[in-house]
Amino acid sequence: MRLQEIDRGDSIFNRLLIAFISLVSGMRLPDAARVAFYHKDFFGSPMGAWTQAAMRGPSAWSVGDRELMAALVAKWNSCDFCVGAHGAVAAKEIERSLVDTALADYRVAPISDGLKATLEFLEAMTLRPTELTSKSAAAVFEAGVGAEALKDAIAVGAIFNIVVRYANALDFALPTANEFDRAASMLLKRGYAS
Amino acid sequence: MTASRPDHRALAEALRYRVLEGRGVSDHATRKAAADRAAGGPAMAVPYDDLASQIGECSHRVTDAQVQGVVQAAGSENAAFEIIAAAAMGAGLMRWRLALKALDEASDASAGN
Repeated sequence: MRLQEIDRGDSIFNRLLIAFISLVSGMRLPDAARVAFYHKDFFGSPMGAWTQAAMRGPSAWSVGDRELMAALVAKWNSCDFCVGAHGAVAAKEIERSLVDTALADYRVAPISDGLKATLEFLEAMTLRPTELTSKSAAAVFEAGVGAEALKDAIAVGAIFNIVVRYANALDFALPTANEFDRAASMLLKRGYAS
Repeated sequence: MTASRPDHRALAEALRYRVLEGRGVSDHATRKAAADRAAGGPAMAVPYDDLASQIGECSHRVTDAQVQGVVQAAGSENAAFEIIAAAAMGAGLMRWRLALKALDEASDASAGN
């Protein structure tokens, strides 16, 4: 973590909260949660509200689908923290082996044609955004995905193109696989709204 | 009772408005310039330019020195955080707008058939 105020908390309440959660969970509170608590009114609140709606709100996509999208956006941005965090949540909703296959190459993973086409759109959105055209979206429609479902996926893509950038810029500490797994249980239970 | 669908456009706008136009420690112009720069916009003054463009193009290559440079120039970690958040948001919302444009155009074309 490159900003010490985020690491330790920016108020007495937040310092106590970070210490308490770390103590109860038996692991260092991940940097993503520390950022969510920091200067909350400025960023954590509006970002958390959109993330909670996109990742846990009503959608044609399952929570596992959306977490897999997040993990892949993280992969395309070389964000090891977010690949680990969201891959771990996806693995609780989908099979771990399926998540690993999709992370290695979603094109050969045993997932629906609609999800594959959507991931192809999200990959272009992440890596070549100016090349997106109506044909890119039409290809997703042809795979059986509706406009509202594609919009939901685009929201996930936009949010994680933000998250990975501050995670990388701030150099989030990488938890162990076991810690990612425990943090994933908390994310499934509590969601993203800070 | 069925929960209503999320209004992603409103949620994205609420985030943009808060980060770029709301109260903060850093000045609005720097936050706005960082968001634009990370979305491929014009260069900023040193040392902001290096960090904002790196966050936009290749965030995993951001260095300690780039972040520390902005902490020094902006005057506090809090102000630096605002600029980092603005840059990250600028790159993400640029993708949001382009992807929605593609979606809207495809939906219009589909409705016209």
